[in-house]
Amino acid sequence: MPPIRAGLHLKLVMPSDPRYLPVVRGAICPLAAAMGWDESDCQAITMAMDEALANIIRHAYHGRTDGVIELECRESADGLEFTLWDHGDPPDKSKICARQVGCSQPGGLGTHIIKDVMDAVSYQALPGGNRFLAVKRLPRKI
Amino acid sequence: MKISVREAGEAKIVEVEGDVDLGTSPELRSTLFAALREVRKLGLNLAGIRYIDSSGIATLLEVLKDSQRMNKDFFLFGLTPAVERVFRLTHVIRIFRVFADEHEAMESA
Repeated sequence: MPPIRAGLHLKLVMPSDPRYLPVVRGAICPLAAAMGWDESDCQAITMAMDEALANIIRHAYHGRTDGVIELECRESADGLEFTLWDHGDPPDKSKICARQVGCSQPGGLGTHIIKDVMDAVSYQALPGGNRFLAVKRLPRKI
Repeated sequence: MKISVREAGEAKIVEVEGDVDLGTSPELRSTLFAALREVRKLGLNLAGIRYIDSSGIATLLEVLKDSQRMNKDFFLFGLTPAVERVFRLTHVIRIFRVFADEHEAMESA
């Protein structure tokens, strides 16, 4: 039997208050660095997750600061899986990446950033809450 | 985030330090809109920004739109590599007038 390797599993529960966004950014960036991504990728991954959290605060909780957001980062065989749970309004899928790329419209940038940075993304409204799932794979070594 | 505004000839320059995110971008927005009302040329120095998210970029797009509507000049300078990466990631880098530093901005603006 192959040896069982304990992967990293980070769980964080935060209020839907933008004051805590720097705390989460401060956790994700070094986590990505420890996994092996370079500085540029670490910043991109951090930004994508920051955007996902900001979207929950703005669109699921409509700026309310007393909602609950659960963040889980789990090491997988080839990268990291991020899960966000919230109990606000379900995501409006018609607005995800609806903005035309390169236009001067102010809104709707966040979901494009998430899609560009992550390898797989899903938004689901489930009985237990809204689940955002994002997967980022490490580049393969040649 | 720290914001200050100073005059530079006929322009006003807004200096920002720290992180611009969902929590701090409203303050940047109100500072830029207030400054834009008072001058024909408004510059934003981004050299002190460690992080900017899409709400910060959206704020800059709003100010740019308003400046165009009022026939005023809104320009950016001092983009660090990290901030420039966000502008490229959001595909808005070409929408703004961007200069390397204040000197270049004032020469061209």
